Amino acid sequence: MAVEILKEKYRSKVGEVVLGATKEEGGTRSHTITVGGETSLPYLHFEGETPNRPVMALEVWDTAPTEWPPFFEKFYGDVWNDPGEWAKKCVNEFGADLIQLRLAGADPDINDASPEDCTVAVKKVLEAVGVPLIVIGCGKPEKDNLIYAPVAEAAAGENLLLGVAELENYKAVNSACMANKHNIIASSPIDINICKQLNILIIEMSTAMANRIIIDPTVAALGYGAEYSFSIMERARNGALQGDKMLGMPMIGNIGSEVWRTKEAITPTEDEPGWGEQEERGILWEATTAMAYLQSGIDMLVMRHPEALKIIEKQIDDLMQDNSY
Amino acid sequence: MGLTGLEIYKHLPKTNCKECGSPTCLAFAMALAAGKASLDACPYVSDEAKEALDSASAPPIKLVKVGTGDHVVDLGEETEIFRHDKRFFHPTGLAVLISDTEDVAAKVEKFEDLKFHRVGLDYVTDMVAVKCDSGDAAKFKEAVETVAGKTEKAMVLLTEDPAVMEAALDVVADRKPLLWAATADNYEKMTELAKGKECPLVLKGKDLHETAELVEKVVALGYKELVLDSGARETSKALADLTQFRRLAVRKKFRPFGYPVFAITSKDDPREEVIQAGVYLSKYADVVVMKACEKQQLLPLLSWRQNIYTDPQKPVAVEAKLNAVGDADENSPVYITTNFSLTYFLVEGEIEATRIPSWILSVDTAGTSVLTAYADNKFSAEIIAEALKKSGAEENVKRHTLILPGYVAVLKGSLEEESGGWEVMVGPREASGINKFAKEKFA
Amino acid sequence: MIIIGERINGMYNDIGKAIKGKDPKPIQEWARRQEEGGADYLDLNVGPASPNKIEAMKWLIEVTQEASDLPLCLDSTNYDAIEEGLKLCKKPAMINSVPAEMPKMERVFPMAVQYGAEVVALAMNEEGIPKDADSRIALAAELVATADSLGFSPEMLYIDPLTLPCNVAQDHGPEVMRTLREIKLISDPSPKTVIGLSNISQGTQNRDLINRTFAVMAMANGLDAGIVDANDNELMSAIATARILLNKDIYCDSFVNVFINRNR
Repeated sequence: MAVEILKEKYRSKVGEVVLGATKEEGGTRSHTITVGGETSLPYLHFEGETPNRPVMALEVWDTAPTEWPPFFEKFYGDVWNDPGEWAKKCVNEFGADLIQLRLAGADPDINDASPEDCTVAVKKVLEAVGVPLIVIGCGKPEKDNLIYAPVAEAAAGENLLLGVAELENYKAVNSACMANKHNIIASSPIDINICKQLNILIIEMSTAMANRIIIDPTVAALGYGAEYSFSIMERARNGALQGDKMLGMPMIGNIGSEVWRTKEAITPTEDEPGWGEQEERGILWEATTAMAYLQSGIDMLVMRHPEALKIIEKQIDDLMQDNSY
Repeated sequence: MGLTGLEIYKHLPKTNCKECGSPTCLAFAMALAAGKASLDACPYVSDEAKEALDSASAPPIKLVKVGTGDHVVDLGEETEIFRHDKRFFHPTGLAVLISDTEDVAAKVEKFEDLKFHRVGLDYVTDMVAVKCDSGDAAKFKEAVETVAGKTEKAMVLLTEDPAVMEAALDVVADRKPLLWAATADNYEKMTELAKGKECPLVLKGKDLHETAELVEKVVALGYKELVLDSGARETSKALADLTQFRRLAVRKKFRPFGYPVFAITSKDDPREEVIQAGVYLSKYADVVVMKACEKQQLLPLLSWRQNIYTDPQKPVAVEAKLNAVGDADENSPVYITTNFSLTYFLVEGEIEATRIPSWILSVDTAGTSVLTAYADNKFSAEIIAEALKKSGAEENVKRHTLILPGYVAVLKGSLEEESGGWEVMVGPREASGINKFAKEKFA
Repeated sequence: MIIIGERINGMYNDIGKAIKGKDPKPIQEWARRQEEGGADYLDLNVGPASPNKIEAMKWLIEVTQEASDLPLCLDSTNYDAIEEGLKLCKKPAMINSVPAEMPKMERVFPMAVQYGAEVVALAMNEEGIPKDADSRIALAAELVATADSLGFSPEMLYIDPLTLPCNVAQDHGPEVMRTLREIKLISDPSPKTVIGLSNISQGTQNRDLINRTFAVMAMANGLDAGIVDANDNELMSAIATARILLNKDIYCDSFVNVFINRNR
């Protein structure tokens, strides 16, 4: 009996965003990375295109993190005092597609690093690796607003992905991106209405930003509201395919930093023997969280554990296999 | 969704005899589609038309039960493609696979130990699958008997050999196991077995088309307790087939696909297997069979299953009580928040990250967030003070320090009064500010 | 709701004059303005005065396509004019319109299949516009059944239940609403529905208010498309709001602007 395969026809598609710039394009990256462009729901190749496979970044900080579980030391302990070396290891050894540099040291409660210090860190990473770069602040808006302009200027031409813009605080980072032709992370707190509104506000400042936005819908860790993020991403992606241009941007998620503060990832084996071995549990917690968001349409994943990245890399290979009828 | 006018019209005699009271058969069909007429009004309607109309009123996906007693697993009866449109109803049955060639007793004991407690909920792996790899009916029977003796959970039996299946059913038929699989080659015997013992049966095709054909054949034999397996084993192909099963059943009411669906992992590396199972769990599988059996492998999958099968329309609440974070003692401060699970776990995560032992008092706000609850008068000074008294904090915590969410700073004064002398500090508005706040105040 | 801009119609003085004098300016001006206003399609009607309907339609299509990339809705009872026009359309167009009358359906549906065009179909026949919903629905079902039998997919059919001015035929209002709902029961995929909005307010006071109230009510009953004044800001805002309240678009604070500018 012939089954009539049901293929959705969508009016629109997800926009494409190019990250990084090569020498010819005015930067110093060895290659660029394009994300987005989907014309179907995730990996339904039988009805549409996924022209660009999702990409993974590993986190690099400008200061050695003090609160990561001890087993991260065996991967990063020899390099985490030097963001350049750290980035190099992530790319060369662990296979990261790109680097997300978090300027954590700028936090007044950590090192209170100056904007100049931040630009030094950014340059170090740019010199050390050829992959496109994501740069985010320390998470304290008053401080981050002092950093965006000098960082954007120091990396002019590199076509960074810079963040984060939030509804209450998007102008400084957006101006920095506009002035130096960088891309922007538009972050909303698991709220699709704010997600859409923020995109509009960014584009209202400059229509040139329309194809330079990456949506960060806020990805909760597995077990901590992941289903909310999952559904918001599904709704946003459906909206994008049905023609809502203000939701038609690629999406990014900070998987690693969310997962590695959950109880399931940080509780030692001896404290919760009923949960199994800690590091493996954490790796699978991170990989399962990433898996869930791949199924809701994420384009860029920021990971932390190199083993979790490896598992997801394989799954992306599998998901990208043609399944047309 | 019922049948459309055009579909009904195709079953009508098209004579425009007017005996039903409508001017034309088409008009009568439209009246039926709108629920304003009964098919009985047509004296010439065929039996097929009656059957088509009957099946249109059935749910898009049938409910199929596996197992007995307290361990029945309900499969199917789903109505949505996206959980945000309504909800997913019956959580995927996760089945751990045991081969009759391995140490069956050891693995089933390990399986029985796969139960977890997290965020106030108990998670269990609810199914166990036994597979005949030996090709030996006696050996399989023995394995099935061993498993049945050590667990009461719902079972799946995997063999395509009807003789082997029959031997196993001799010992466990009354447990109503799910039988895998009837194929184009063996479906007559398998259906006879399943029907005789009233056990649900998986139909496995080579692809969607053959699966649909098998359904029609088995239904024609009079059996409908079915679960479907398109045979796809690669992640991407299985995702496509699982999507088609769900779409065609829900959107097109394609009857051959109106049954729960079955997936089995193909990855040998346990890590890859776990996230392959995760894909099937996320996208529509009603049963997933997998080899992985370690606690750290099952906990994330069971958590994800719990997450996506929650009702998105219903705010998820945690128990309203005083909770210890770290080694909280009588000298620890007490944070106040609501019992909306998302808020609660965010706050809990941030407090945990401070590494400063603390208490959290989750106030019953019917699972709404701080601002919603405040606006709705479910998070007033009186209510918080009352919850504080009931929680036993008065007796167990000597340090009388409360931290109020920054958004409801306005409650500070009245809460100091109502609580009878607790010190009330105004905390940050967002959970993300807790770390800094705590380090400044309590480190 | 799909917005079909009504303004390029020979019945309007400026357009009538432009067609007569072969002056593309007013036509192109309205093409652009309607596009900016938020139209999805542009309706083209040469008007009653044109002596050579085929030539007029061809010219209208050509000059409109110079100014706008929007798909066109060819509005004529002269099917030869429509067929010649379809040959010139750069994007799949819409044929406006065909009633539930056999020879006309047999002329229009095969032509629509040939050119990949959508079709606006009227719930009326030789006997005119029915009064009650049941008769309208029966005609709609006939349109769908005939289209289906001629190989034209019901998804591409826009059925107009036909409205009459509310000052002369008030009792038609509820009938039209029920028709809109029940047309969706005819087939799966179901046909779409369309309404020429301004009919409802012919000869009344407060035309704009009646138009936009009716639009919102019709949308709540499932209306898919409207032939409307795309430059009526109040109307477009009401449509944008109805889309939000019907959960068709995802809310954001700037939802009105986003809807009107959605094609930019």
